[in-house]
Amino acid sequence: MAPLLEVRDLVTAYGKIEALRGVSLAVQEGSITCLLGPNGAGKTTLMFSIAGILRPRRGSIRLGARDITGRAPHVIVAAGIALVPENRLVFANMSVLENLRAGAYQRRGGAEIESDIERLMLRFPRLRERAAQNAGTLSGGEQQMLAVARALMSRPRLLLMDEPSLGLAPLVVEEIFRIIAELHRDGTTILLVEQNAHLALQVAQHFYLIEQGKVSFSGSPGALAEDEVIRRAYLGSAAR
Amino acid sequence: MLDILQAVSDGVLFGATYALIGIGFTLVFGVMHKLNLSYAAASVGSAYAGLLVLEVMAGAPAWLVFLCAFAAGGALGYAVYLTCFHFIPLRSPLATLMATVGMLLLIDEVIVHATNGMPQAYPAIFDDVMLRAGAFTLRGDLLLVFGVAVLCMIALMVLLYRTRLGLATRAVSQQSVAAQLCGIRVGQVNAMTFVITGLLGGIAGALIGASVGALSPLLTTPLTVKGLIVTVIGGLGSIPGAIVAGLLVGGFENVLQHFRGVTERDLYVMLLLFAFLVFRPDGLFATKGGRD
Ligand SMILES: Nc1ncnc2c1ncn2[C@@H]1O[C@H](COP(=O)(O)OP(=O)(O)OP(=O)(O)O)[C@@H](O)[C@H]1O
Ligand SMILES: [Mg+2]
Repeated sequence: MAPLLEVRDLVTAYGKIEALRGVSLAVQEGSITCLLGPNGAGKTTLMFSIAGILRPRRGSIRLGARDITGRAPHVIVAAGIALVPENRLVFANMSVLENLRAGAYQRRGGAEIESDIERLMLRFPRLRERAAQNAGTLSGGEQQMLAVARALMSRPRLLLMDEPSLGLAPLVVEEIFRIIAELHRDGTTILLVEQNAHLALQVAQHFYLIEQGKVSFSGSPGALAEDEVIRRAYLGSAAR
Repeated sequence: MLDILQAVSDGVLFGATYALIGIGFTLVFGVMHKLNLSYAAASVGSAYAGLLVLEVMAGAPAWLVFLCAFAAGGALGYAVYLTCFHFIPLRSPLATLMATVGMLLLIDEVIVHATNGMPQAYPAIFDDVMLRAGAFTLRGDLLLVFGVAVLCMIALMVLLYRTRLGLATRAVSQQSVAAQLCGIRVGQVNAMTFVITGLLGGIAGALIGASVGALSPLLTTPLTVKGLIVTVIGGLGSIPGAIVAGLLVGGFENVLQHFRGVTERDLYVMLLLFAFLVFRPDGLFATKGGRD
Protein backbone atom coordinates (compact mmCIF):
# COMPACT_ATOMS: atom_id res chain seq x y z
CA MET A 1 0.00 0.00 0.00
CA ALA A 2 1.28 3.47 -0.83
CA PRO A 3 2.03 5.45 2.33
CA LEU A 4 -0.02 8.52 3.33
CA LEU A 5 3.13 10.55 3.92
CA GLU A 6 6.37 9.97 2.10
CA VAL A 7 9.50 12.00 2.77
CA ARG A 8 12.47 11.47 0.44
CA ASP A 9 16.08 12.59 0.88
CA LEU A 10 15.02 15.73 2.67
CA VAL A 11 17.69 18.35 3.32
CA THR A 12 16.82 21.39 5.44
CA ALA A 13 19.40 23.92 6.60
CA TYR A 14 19.65 26.92 8.88
CA GLY A 15 22.01 29.13 6.92
CA LYS A 16 25.04 26.98 6.17
CA ILE A 17 24.28 24.34 8.78
CA GLU A 18 22.31 21.37 7.47
CA ALA A 19 20.03 20.14 10.24
CA LEU A 20 18.49 17.44 8.01
CA ARG A 21 20.99 15.68 5.79
CA GLY A 22 18.84 13.49 3.57
CA VAL A 23 15.98 12.10 5.64
CA SER A 24 13.60 9.56 4.15
CA LEU A 25 10.60 8.10 5.90
CA ALA A 26 7.08 6.89 5.24
CA VAL A 27 3.92 6.92 7.33
CA GLN A 28 1.22 4.35 6.53
CA GLU A 29 -2.40 5.43 6.56
CA GLY A 30 -4.04 4.73 9.92
CA SER A 31 -0.78 4.01 11.71
CA ILE A 32 1.12 5.58 14.57
CA THR A 33 4.67 6.13 13.42
CA CYS A 34 7.17 7.27 15.96
CA LEU A 35 10.29 9.37 15.53
CA LEU A 36 12.93 8.98 18.23
CA GLY A 37 16.27 10.68 18.60
CA PRO A 38 18.52 12.67 20.89
CA ASN A 39 18.36 16.44 21.40
CA GLY A 40 19.39 18.34 18.33
CA ALA A 41 18.91 15.36 16.00
CA GLY A 42 16.61 17.36 13.74
CA LYS A 43 13.17 16.09 14.78
CA THR A 44 11.58 19.51 15.12
CA THR A 45 13.28 20.63 11.93
CA LEU A 46 11.65 17.71 10.13
CA MET A 47 8.22 18.55 11.59
CA PHE A 48 8.56 22.20 10.55
CA SER A 49 9.70 21.16 7.08
CA ILE A 50 6.66 18.94 6.59
CA ALA A 51 4.32 21.64 7.95
CA GLY A 52 5.77 24.28 5.63
CA ILE A 53 7.25 26.53 8.32
CA LEU A 54 10.74 25.70 7.05
CA ARG A 55 11.56 25.37 3.37
CA PRO A 56 13.63 22.29 2.51
CA ARG A 57 16.69 22.69 0.28
CA ARG A 58 16.35 19.37 -1.48
CA GLY A 59 14.24 16.26 -1.45
CA SER A 60 10.50 15.79 -1.60
CA ILE A 61 7.46 15.45 0.62
CA ARG A 62 4.32 13.77 -0.65
CA LEU A 63 0.92 13.52 0.98
CA GLY A 64 -0.89 10.71 -0.81
CA ALA A 65 -0.46 11.43 -4.50
CA ARG A 66 0.24 15.11 -3.95
CA ASP A 67 3.67 16.75 -3.87
CA ILE A 68 3.67 19.33 -1.08
CA THR A 69 7.41 20.06 -0.95
CA GLY A 70 8.11 23.67 -0.08
CA ARG A 71 4.47 24.72 -0.08
CA ALA A 72 3.24 27.43 2.28
CA PRO A 73 1.79 26.35 5.65
CA HIS A 74 -1.78 27.32 4.75
CA VAL A 75 -1.62 25.09 1.67
CA ILE A 76 -0.36 22.21 3.77
CA VAL A 77 -3.09 22.66 6.37
CA ALA A 78 -5.63 22.67 3.56
CA ALA A 79 -4.04 19.49 2.16
CA GLY A 80 -4.79 17.80 5.49
CA ILE A 81 -1.74 18.00 7.74
CA ALA A 82 -1.83 19.52 11.22
CA LEU A 83 1.11 19.92 13.61
CA VAL A 84 0.94 19.99 17.38
CA PRO A 85 4.15 21.99 17.83
CA GLU A 86 6.87 21.46 20.38
CA ASN A 87 6.19 23.59 23.48
CA ARG A 88 2.49 23.73 22.51
CA LEU A 89 2.54 27.37 21.33
CA VAL A 90 -1.03 28.12 22.40
CA PHE A 91 -2.35 31.65 21.89
CA ALA A 92 -1.83 32.74 25.48
CA ASN A 93 -4.06 35.82 25.45
CA MET A 94 -6.96 34.17 23.70
CA SER A 95 -9.63 32.06 25.34
CA VAL A 96 -9.66 28.28 24.96
CA LEU A 97 -12.65 28.63 22.62
CA GLU A 98 -10.87 31.19 20.45
CA ASN A 99 -7.83 28.95 20.26
CA LEU A 100 -10.06 26.19 18.93
CA ARG A 101 -11.72 28.53 16.42
CA ALA A 102 -8.28 29.60 15.23
CA GLY A 103 -7.53 25.93 14.60
CA ALA A 104 -10.55 25.83 12.30
CA TYR A 105 -9.51 29.04 10.55
CA GLN A 106 -9.64 27.61 7.03
CA ARG A 107 -12.95 25.84 7.44
CA ARG A 108 -16.25 27.41 6.46
CA GLY A 109 -19.53 26.50 8.03
CA GLY A 110 -19.95 27.74 11.61
CA ALA A 111 -22.40 25.03 12.67
CA GLU A 112 -20.03 22.18 11.83
CA ILE A 113 -17.16 23.94 13.57
CA GLU A 114 -19.25 24.43 16.68
CA SER A 115 -20.27 20.78 16.72
CA ASP A 116 -16.61 19.75 16.36
CA ILE A 117 -15.77 21.98 19.32
CA GLU A 118 -18.56 20.28 21.21
CA ARG A 119 -17.14 16.83 20.40
CA LEU A 120 -13.62 17.84 21.40
CA MET A 121 -14.90 19.20 24.69
CA LEU A 122 -16.28 15.73 25.42
CA ARG A 123 -12.89 14.23 24.71
CA PHE A 124 -11.08 16.91 26.74
CA PRO A 125 -13.42 17.71 29.65
CA ARG A 126 -10.82 19.98 31.24
CA LEU A 127 -11.09 22.28 28.24
CA ARG A 128 -14.83 22.57 28.68
CA GLU A 129 -14.37 23.77 32.26
CA ARG A 130 -11.88 26.36 31.05
CA ALA A 131 -13.58 27.31 27.78
CA ALA A 132 -13.75 31.05 28.49
CA GLN A 133 -10.40 31.25 30.24
CA ASN A 134 -7.27 32.60 28.56
CA ALA A 135 -5.02 29.79 27.36
CA GLY A 136 -2.06 31.36 29.15
CA THR A 137 -3.69 30.59 32.50
CA LEU A 138 -3.94 26.85 31.84
CA SER A 139 -1.58 24.29 33.33
CA GLY A 140 1.05 22.70 31.09
CA GLY A 141 -1.02 19.56 30.65
CA GLU A 142 -4.16 21.51 29.83
CA GLN A 143 -2.23 23.60 27.32
CA GLN A 144 -1.03 20.40 25.68
CA MET A 145 -4.62 19.12 25.43
CA LEU A 146 -5.57 22.46 23.91
CA ALA A 147 -2.75 22.28 21.37
CA VAL A 148 -3.90 18.79 20.33
CA ALA A 149 -7.54 19.89 20.15
CA ARG A 150 -6.62 22.98 18.16
CA ALA A 151 -4.74 20.86 15.62
CA LEU A 152 -7.71 18.48 15.34
CA MET A 153 -10.02 21.40 14.55
CA SER A 154 -8.66 21.48 10.99
CA ARG A 155 -9.83 17.85 10.56
CA PRO A 156 -6.41 16.62 9.44
CA ARG A 157 -5.72 13.40 7.55
CA LEU A 158 -2.31 13.34 9.19
CA LEU A 159 -1.55 14.58 12.69
CA LEU A 160 2.05 15.49 13.50
CA MET A 161 2.91 15.68 17.20
CA ASP A 162 6.22 17.10 18.40
CA GLU A 163 7.08 15.89 21.92
CA PRO A 164 3.60 16.17 23.40
CA SER A 165 4.79 14.81 26.76
CA LEU A 166 7.60 17.35 27.16
CA GLY A 167 7.81 18.69 30.69
CA LEU A 168 4.59 17.07 31.91
CA ALA A 169 3.98 15.08 35.09
CA PRO A 170 3.80 11.26 34.64
CA LEU A 171 0.04 11.13 35.16
CA VAL A 172 -0.53 13.78 32.51
CA VAL A 173 1.83 11.98 30.14
CA GLU A 174 -0.29 8.85 30.58
CA GLU A 175 -3.39 10.82 29.74
CA ILE A 176 -1.75 12.20 26.61
CA PHE A 177 -0.84 8.71 25.48
CA ARG A 178 -4.35 7.48 26.21
CA ILE A 179 -5.63 10.23 23.91
CA ILE A 180 -3.09 9.29 21.23
CA ALA A 181 -4.32 5.68 21.40
CA GLU A 182 -7.93 6.87 21.16
CA LEU A 183 -7.21 9.05 18.13
CA HIS A 184 -5.50 6.06 16.53
CA ARG A 185 -8.53 3.89 17.21
CA ASP A 186 -10.71 6.51 15.49
CA GLY A 187 -8.55 6.15 12.39
CA THR A 188 -6.29 9.22 12.64
CA THR A 189 -2.84 8.77 11.13
CA ILE A 190 -0.16 10.03 13.51
CA LEU A 191 3.53 10.86 13.20
CA LEU A 192 4.77 11.23 16.76
CA VAL A 193 8.07 12.69 17.93
CA GLU A 194 8.81 11.46 21.42
CA GLN A 195 11.61 11.43 23.96
CA ASN A 196 9.84 8.86 26.09
CA ALA A 197 10.90 5.87 23.99
CA HIS A 198 9.33 3.33 26.32
CA LEU A 199 5.81 4.75 25.97
CA ALA A 200 6.26 5.56 22.31
CA LEU A 201 7.23 1.99 21.41
CA GLN A 202 4.10 0.75 23.13
CA VAL A 203 1.73 2.72 20.89
CA ALA A 204 3.66 2.80 17.62
CA GLN A 205 3.47 0.30 14.77
CA HIS A 206 6.65 1.60 13.24
CA PHE A 207 9.50 3.76 14.44
CA TYR A 208 12.46 5.69 13.10
CA LEU A 209 15.62 6.62 14.93
CA ILE A 210 17.07 9.89 13.78
CA GLU A 211 20.57 11.02 14.70
CA GLN A 212 22.44 14.09 13.51
CA GLY A 213 20.03 14.80 10.70
CA LYS A 214 19.89 11.25 9.34
CA VAL A 215 17.69 8.23 9.87
CA SER A 216 19.95 5.69 11.58
CA PHE A 217 17.45 2.91 12.07
CA SER A 218 13.87 2.07 11.25
CA GLY A 219 11.66 -0.87 11.99
CA SER A 220 8.77 -2.18 14.03
CA PRO A 221 9.00 -1.85 17.82
CA GLY A 222 10.26 -5.42 18.23
CA ALA A 223 13.07 -5.00 15.72
CA LEU A 224 15.60 -3.62 18.16
CA ALA A 225 16.00 -4.35 21.89
CA GLU A 226 14.25 -1.62 23.83
CA ASP A 227 17.24 -0.66 25.94
CA GLU A 228 19.28 -0.24 22.76
CA VAL A 229 16.58 2.02 21.27
CA ILE A 230 16.38 4.03 24.46
CA ARG A 231 20.12 4.44 24.66
CA ARG A 232 20.34 5.66 21.10
CA ALA A 233 17.24 7.83 21.37
CA TYR A 234 18.68 9.68 24.33
CA LEU A 235 22.37 9.66 23.65
CA GLY A 236 22.93 8.88 20.00
CA SER A 237 24.95 5.92 18.76
CA ALA A 238 28.23 7.80 19.23
CA ALA A 239 28.00 7.38 23.01
CA ARG A 240 28.94 3.81 23.67
CA MET B 1 -9.50 76.60 38.42
CA LEU B 2 -12.01 76.75 35.62
CA ASP B 3 -9.34 77.58 33.08
CA ILE B 4 -7.43 74.43 34.04
CA LEU B 5 -10.58 72.37 33.58
CA GLN B 6 -11.14 74.06 30.24
CA ALA B 7 -7.58 73.36 29.12
CA VAL B 8 -7.78 69.71 30.23
CA SER B 9 -11.08 69.08 28.49
CA ASP B 10 -10.02 70.72 25.22
CA GLY B 11 -6.74 68.80 25.38
CA VAL B 12 -8.36 65.46 26.11
CA LEU B 13 -10.83 65.91 23.27
CA PHE B 14 -8.01 66.68 20.86
CA GLY B 15 -5.93 63.90 22.45
CA ALA B 16 -8.29 61.39 20.83
CA THR B 17 -6.39 62.02 17.58
CA TYR B 18 -3.12 61.21 19.33
CA ALA B 19 -4.75 58.04 20.59
CA LEU B 20 -5.62 57.05 17.00
CA ILE B 21 -2.06 57.72 15.83
CA GLY B 22 -0.73 55.77 18.82
CA ILE B 23 -3.02 52.85 17.97
CA GLY B 24 -1.58 52.81 14.46
CA PHE B 25 1.98 52.55 15.72
CA THR B 26 1.13 50.03 18.40
CA LEU B 27 -1.00 47.73 16.25
CA VAL B 28 1.67 47.36 13.59
CA PHE B 29 4.21 46.78 16.33
CA GLY B 30 1.99 44.21 18.01
CA VAL B 31 1.44 42.23 14.81
CA MET B 32 4.84 42.49 13.12
CA HIS B 33 7.15 43.56 15.94
CA LYS B 34 8.30 46.37 13.68
CA LEU B 35 8.02 50.14 13.83
CA ASN B 36 6.43 51.99 10.94
CA LEU B 37 7.95 55.45 11.33
CA SER B 38 6.14 56.77 8.26
CA TYR B 39 2.75 56.30 9.90
CA ALA B 40 2.07 59.83 11.16
CA ALA B 41 3.35 61.33 7.90
CA ALA B 42 1.12 58.99 5.90
CA SER B 43 -1.81 60.05 8.08
CA VAL B 44 -1.17 63.72 7.36
CA GLY B 45 -0.61 62.86 3.69
CA SER B 46 -3.98 61.08 3.56
CA ALA B 47 -5.66 64.10 5.13
CA TYR B 48 -4.11 66.18 2.34
CA ALA B 49 -5.42 63.69 -0.19
CA GLY B 50 -8.88 64.33 1.25
CA LEU B 51 -8.55 67.95 0.12
CA LEU B 52 -8.39 66.74 -3.49
CA VAL B 53 -12.17 66.36 -3.29
CA LEU B 54 -12.39 70.15 -3.08
CA GLU B 55 -10.31 70.45 -6.26
CA VAL B 56 -12.72 68.27 -8.18
CA MET B 57 -15.87 69.53 -6.55
CA ALA B 58 -15.65 73.01 -5.12
CA GLY B 59 -17.75 73.43 -1.99
CA ALA B 60 -17.89 69.69 -1.26
CA PRO B 61 -19.09 69.03 2.29
CA ALA B 62 -16.52 68.41 5.01
CA TRP B 63 -17.64 64.82 5.61
CA LEU B 64 -16.82 63.99 2.01
CA VAL B 65 -13.31 65.33 2.55
CA PHE B 66 -13.02 63.14 5.68
CA LEU B 67 -14.28 60.10 3.79
CA CYS B 68 -11.75 60.66 1.04
CA ALA B 69 -8.95 61.01 3.62
CA PHE B 70 -10.13 57.74 5.19
CA ALA B 71 -9.99 55.90 1.87
CA ALA B 72 -6.65 57.46 0.92
CA GLY B 73 -5.31 56.34 4.30
CA GLY B 74 -6.15 52.72 3.56
CA ALA B 75 -4.56 52.88 0.12
CA LEU B 76 -1.46 54.62 1.42
CA GLY B 77 -1.22 52.07 4.25
CA TYR B 78 -1.13 49.27 1.70
CA ALA B 79 1.46 51.14 -0.36
CA VAL B 80 3.65 51.54 2.73
CA TYR B 81 3.30 47.83 3.44
CA LEU B 82 4.38 46.92 -0.09
CA THR B 83 7.28 49.33 -0.33
CA CYS B 84 8.65 49.15 3.21
CA PHE B 85 7.82 45.61 4.36
CA HIS B 86 6.64 43.15 1.72
CA PHE B 87 9.71 43.26 -0.49
CA ILE B 88 12.20 43.92 2.27
CA PRO B 89 13.78 41.13 4.32
CA LEU B 90 11.93 41.14 7.65
CA ARG B 91 14.80 39.34 9.34
CA SER B 92 16.97 42.42 9.29
CA PRO B 93 15.58 44.78 11.92
CA LEU B 94 17.07 47.96 10.47
CA ALA B 95 16.04 47.40 6.85
CA THR B 96 12.32 47.97 7.35
CA LEU B 97 12.90 50.73 9.88
CA MET B 98 15.06 52.69 7.45
CA ALA B 99 12.61 52.04 4.63
CA THR B 100 9.86 53.65 6.69
CA VAL B 101 12.12 56.63 7.49
CA GLY B 102 12.63 56.99 3.75
CA MET B 103 8.89 56.84 3.25
CA LEU B 104 8.40 59.51 5.93
CA LEU B 105 10.77 61.86 4.10
CA LEU B 106 9.20 61.05 0.74
CA ILE B 107 5.69 61.83 1.93
CA ASP B 108 6.93 65.07 3.49
CA GLU B 109 8.57 66.10 0.24
CA VAL B 110 5.52 65.26 -1.84
CA ILE B 111 3.35 67.39 0.44
CA VAL B 112 5.78 70.31 0.29
CA HIS B 113 5.98 70.13 -3.51
CA ALA B 114 2.26 69.78 -4.02
CA THR B 115 1.41 72.73 -1.78
CA ASN B 116 4.53 74.86 -2.22
CA GLY B 117 4.94 74.48 1.51
CA MET B 118 1.93 76.69 2.20
CA PRO B 119 -0.54 75.65 4.91
CA GLN B 120 -3.89 74.54 3.50
CA ALA B 121 -7.19 75.45 5.13
CA TYR B 122 -9.07 72.34 6.31
CA PRO B 123 -12.85 72.11 6.61
CA ALA B 124 -14.42 71.35 9.98
CA ILE B 125 -17.82 70.06 11.05
CA PHE B 126 -19.83 71.71 13.84
CA ASP B 127 -17.27 74.51 14.18
CA ASP B 128 -20.17 76.91 14.68
CA VAL B 129 -21.55 74.91 17.61
CA MET B 130 -20.52 75.76 21.14
CA LEU B 131 -21.89 74.07 24.27
CA ARG B 132 -21.77 76.36 27.31
CA ALA B 133 -22.08 75.77 31.03
CA GLY B 134 -21.37 79.12 32.60
CA ALA B 135 -17.88 80.12 31.52
CA PHE B 136 -17.00 76.51 30.64
CA THR B 137 -17.39 75.69 26.96
CA LEU B 138 -17.14 72.66 24.78
CA ARG B 139 -16.23 73.32 21.14
CA GLY B 140 -18.57 71.50 18.78
CA ASP B 141 -15.82 70.66 16.32
CA LEU B 142 -13.66 69.17 19.07
CA LEU B 143 -16.60 67.13 20.33
CA LEU B 144 -17.06 65.80 16.81
CA VAL B 145 -13.36 64.97 16.59
CA PHE B 146 -13.61 63.08 19.85
CA GLY B 147 -16.83 61.32 18.84
CA VAL B 148 -15.48 60.18 15.48
CA ALA B 149 -12.25 58.97 17.08
CA VAL B 150 -14.16 56.96 19.68
CA LEU B 151 -16.34 55.44 16.95
CA CYS B 152 -13.20 54.40 15.08
CA MET B 153 -11.80 52.78 18.22
CA ILE B 154 -15.03 50.88 18.83
CA ALA B 155 -15.07 49.75 15.20
CA LEU B 156 -11.48 48.55 15.57
CA MET B 157 -12.31 46.61 18.73
CA VAL B 158 -15.30 44.97 17.05
CA LEU B 159 -13.07 44.07 14.12
CA LEU B 160 -10.38 42.60 16.37
CA TYR B 161 -12.63 40.72 18.78
CA ARG B 162 -15.68 39.78 16.72
CA THR B 163 -14.45 38.89 13.25
CA ARG B 164 -12.44 36.17 11.56
CA LEU B 165 -9.84 38.69 10.40
CA GLY B 166 -9.56 39.99 13.95
CA LEU B 167 -9.01 36.48 15.28
CA ALA B 168 -6.27 35.96 12.70
CA THR B 169 -4.68 39.30 13.56
CA ARG B 170 -4.56 38.53 17.27
CA ALA B 171 -3.30 35.03 16.57
CA VAL B 172 -0.42 36.33 14.45
CA SER B 173 0.51 38.95 17.04
CA GLN B 174 0.55 36.40 19.88
CA GLN B 175 2.19 33.43 18.22
CA SER B 176 2.96 33.76 14.56
CA VAL B 177 4.28 30.21 14.08
CA ALA B 178 1.16 28.71 15.64
CA ALA B 179 -0.97 31.06 13.53
CA GLN B 180 0.70 29.68 10.41
CA LEU B 181 0.11 26.14 11.64
CA CYS B 182 -3.59 27.02 11.89
CA GLY B 183 -3.54 27.92 8.20
CA ILE B 184 -3.52 31.68 8.76
CA ARG B 185 -1.57 33.57 6.09
CA VAL B 186 0.74 35.87 7.97
CA GLY B 187 1.53 38.00 4.91
CA GLN B 188 -2.16 38.70 4.35
CA VAL B 189 -2.71 39.58 7.98
CA ASN B 190 0.28 41.94 7.91
CA ALA B 191 -1.04 43.67 4.79
CA MET B 192 -4.51 44.02 6.28
CA THR B 193 -3.02 45.48 9.45
CA PHE B 194 -1.44 48.21 7.34
CA VAL B 195 -4.68 48.90 5.50
CA ILE B 196 -6.64 49.10 8.75
CA THR B 197 -4.14 51.30 10.55
CA GLY B 198 -3.94 53.40 7.38
CA LEU B 199 -7.70 53.94 7.43
CA LEU B 200 -7.49 55.01 11.07
CA GLY B 201 -4.57 57.30 10.26
CA GLY B 202 -6.46 58.93 7.38
CA ILE B 203 -9.32 59.76 9.72
CA ALA B 204 -6.92 60.93 12.43
CA GLY B 205 -5.16 63.23 9.96
CA ALA B 206 -8.44 64.70 8.78
CA LEU B 207 -9.61 65.22 12.37
CA ILE B 208 -6.37 66.98 13.20
CA GLY B 209 -6.73 69.20 10.15
CA ALA B 210 -10.31 69.95 11.11
CA SER B 211 -9.57 70.88 14.70
CA VAL B 212 -6.48 72.94 13.87
CA GLY B 213 -8.27 74.48 10.90
CA ALA B 214 -5.35 73.89 8.55
CA LEU B 215 -2.75 71.34 7.50
CA SER B 216 0.92 72.05 7.11
CA PRO B 217 3.88 69.79 6.32
CA LEU B 218 5.31 71.03 9.62
CA LEU B 219 2.77 68.76 11.33
CA THR B 220 4.37 65.46 10.39
CA THR B 221 7.47 65.48 12.61
CA PRO B 222 5.79 66.56 15.87
CA LEU B 223 2.95 64.12 15.18
CA THR B 224 5.41 61.28 14.60
CA VAL B 225 7.10 62.09 17.90
CA LYS B 226 3.77 62.39 19.75
CA GLY B 227 2.57 59.11 18.28
CA LEU B 228 5.71 57.34 19.44
CA ILE B 229 5.48 58.93 22.89
CA VAL B 230 1.87 57.79 23.18
CA THR B 231 2.90 54.29 22.10
CA VAL B 232 5.68 54.09 24.68
CA ILE B 233 3.61 55.56 27.52
CA GLY B 234 0.71 53.25 26.70
CA GLY B 235 2.96 50.21 26.46
CA LEU B 236 4.22 48.89 23.11
CA GLY B 237 1.58 46.73 21.51
CA SER B 238 -1.27 47.74 23.83
CA ILE B 239 -4.32 49.34 22.22
CA PRO B 240 -6.04 50.34 25.49
CA GLY B 241 -2.68 51.77 26.53
CA ALA B 242 -2.48 53.89 23.38
CA ILE B 243 -6.00 55.21 23.97
CA VAL B 244 -5.38 56.20 27.58
CA ALA B 245 -1.94 57.61 26.80
CA GLY B 246 -3.28 59.61 23.85
CA LEU B 247 -5.90 61.31 26.00
CA LEU B 248 -3.37 61.79 28.79
CA VAL B 249 -0.80 63.42 26.53
CA GLY B 250 -3.49 65.58 24.90
CA GLY B 251 -4.75 66.89 28.23
CA PHE B 252 -1.27 67.27 29.71
CA GLU B 253 0.16 69.25 26.82
CA ASN B 254 -2.81 71.56 26.60
CA VAL B 255 -2.62 72.45 30.29
CA LEU B 256 1.08 73.24 29.93
CA GLN B 257 0.41 75.19 26.78
CA HIS B 258 -2.13 77.19 28.75
CA PHE B 259 0.33 78.03 31.50
CA ARG B 260 3.69 78.02 29.76
CA GLY B 261 2.87 78.76 26.13
CA VAL B 262 3.04 76.72 22.96
CA THR B 263 6.82 76.96 22.61
CA GLU B 264 7.54 75.35 25.97
CA ARG B 265 4.79 72.74 25.98
CA ASP B 266 6.61 69.98 24.11
CA LEU B 267 9.45 70.26 26.58
CA TYR B 268 7.08 69.10 29.31
CA VAL B 269 5.70 66.33 27.16
CA MET B 270 9.28 65.10 26.79
CA LEU B 271 9.70 65.28 30.56
CA LEU B 272 6.53 63.22 30.95
CA LEU B 273 7.99 60.63 28.60
CA PHE B 274 11.24 60.71 30.54
CA ALA B 275 9.39 60.13 33.80
CA PHE B 276 7.63 57.13 32.27
CA LEU B 277 10.85 55.71 30.91
CA VAL B 278 12.45 55.94 34.34
CA PHE B 279 9.57 54.86 36.56
CA ARG B 280 7.44 52.72 34.27
CA PRO B 281 9.51 51.77 31.24
CA ASP B 282 7.00 49.18 30.02
CA GLY B 283 4.26 51.78 29.86
CA LEU B 284 0.80 51.87 31.40
CA PHE B 285 -0.38 48.57 30.01
CA ALA B 286 2.68 46.40 29.63
CA THR B 287 1.81 43.46 27.39
CA LYS B 288 3.46 40.47 28.97
CA GLY B 289 2.29 37.68 26.71
CA GLY B 290 2.26 40.03 23.72
CA ARG B 291 4.66 37.98 21.73
CA ASP B 292 7.22 35.38 22.66
N1 LIG C 1 16.53 28.46 14.32
C1 LIG C 1 17.69 27.75 14.24
N2 LIG C 1 18.81 28.33 13.78
C2 LIG C 1 19.98 27.63 13.68
N3 LIG C 1 20.10 26.34 14.02
C3 LIG C 1 19.02 25.71 14.49
C4 LIG C 1 17.75 26.38 14.62
N4 LIG C 1 16.86 25.50 15.11
C5 LIG C 1 17.52 24.35 15.28
N5 LIG C 1 18.81 24.46 14.91
C6 LIG C 1 19.83 23.40 14.94
O1 LIG C 1 19.38 22.34 14.13
C7 LIG C 1 19.64 21.09 14.74
C8 LIG C 1 18.36 20.30 14.88
O2 LIG C 1 17.49 20.98 15.76
P1 LIG C 1 16.03 20.46 16.09
O3 LIG C 1 15.35 21.50 16.91
O4 LIG C 1 15.38 20.03 14.84
O5 LIG C 1 16.36 19.19 17.00
P2 LIG C 1 15.38 18.24 17.79
O6 LIG C 1 15.67 16.87 17.34
O7 LIG C 1 13.98 18.71 17.66
O8 LIG C 1 15.89 18.44 19.29
P3 LIG C 1 15.06 18.42 20.67
O9 LIG C 1 14.93 17.00 21.07
O10 LIG C 1 15.95 19.17 21.62
O11 LIG C 1 13.78 19.11 20.44
C9 LIG C 1 20.30 21.41 16.06
O12 LIG C 1 21.67 21.24 15.91
C10 LIG C 1 19.97 22.84 16.32
O13 LIG C 1 21.00 23.46 17.02
MG1 LIG D 1 12.59 19.36 18.96
